[in-house]
Amino acid sequence: MSSQGGGFGGGGGFGRPGGRSGGGAGAKGGAAGAKDGGKRYFFRRRKVCKFCADKIDYVDYKDVKLISQFVPERGKILPRRMFGTCAEHQRKLTEAIKRARQIALLPYAAD
Amino acid sequence: MSERIYEILFIADPNLGEPEVDALAAQVQGFVEQAGGKLQKLEKWGKKRLAYSVRRHHEGSYVLLSVEGGGGLIKEVERRLKVTDGIIRFLTVRVDEELRKAERRKAQRALGEEKRKGRPHATTPTPHATTPHATEGVQQ
Repeated sequence: MSSQGGGFGGGGGFGRPGGRSGGGAGAKGGAAGAKDGGKRYFFRRRKVCKFCADKIDYVDYKDVKLISQFVPERGKILPRRMFGTCAEHQRKLTEAIKRARQIALLPYAAD
Repeated sequence: MSERIYEILFIADPNLGEPEVDALAAQVQGFVEQAGGKLQKLEKWGKKRLAYSVRRHHEGSYVLLSVEGGGGLIKEVERRLKVTDGIIRFLTVRVDEELRKAERRKAQRALGEEKRKGRPHATTPTPHATTPHATEGVQQ
């Protein structure tokens, strides 16, 4: 991965003025951004799909420990922007969660 | 070759003792074999808490079977699972296609890595090498 200041903008930095590219690297971005125009820019850490990073090809519905990381207390399936999972793995994750629910490994709804 | 692989996961009544669960597992194995299937794997997970109550039970003994056979096999086995006492919930999932896909992806990735290793430049393992890699962005 390249540094967060340049390149793809690290997923954050919405509505950025066109001219300045790579204004301040990494963590300093917020402070540097505050100077020009009063608008603050937050550099959110680029979320990377955990399944891609760990090279998990098959999302197993039996692996509750893994899946439950992506299910909140409430038991809902969250949109993929929450965890940064890629489309392919979100699809597989959703399927796995639904299967796990059927066999009472995960709740449909809690409390 | 072309036979499918299914996973049968069922929850046994928590009031049953260890030997009774074993007997139940053997019974299900019998269903599979009578219907012309082949058992690949039998796994007992023991007693676990259920995420919600199933037939007024809050825990249950999980048993997993991996089975090879055709679609007709599952039809028959599911019918018999439904009428078997002591099984409070079951789930059958076809897994062969997904596992095969996963296998293929793994192979592909291994191939890609091989290629990358083959290139002369990318072999330097030291993190702070003096010459920056051409592919990576220049870091500030």
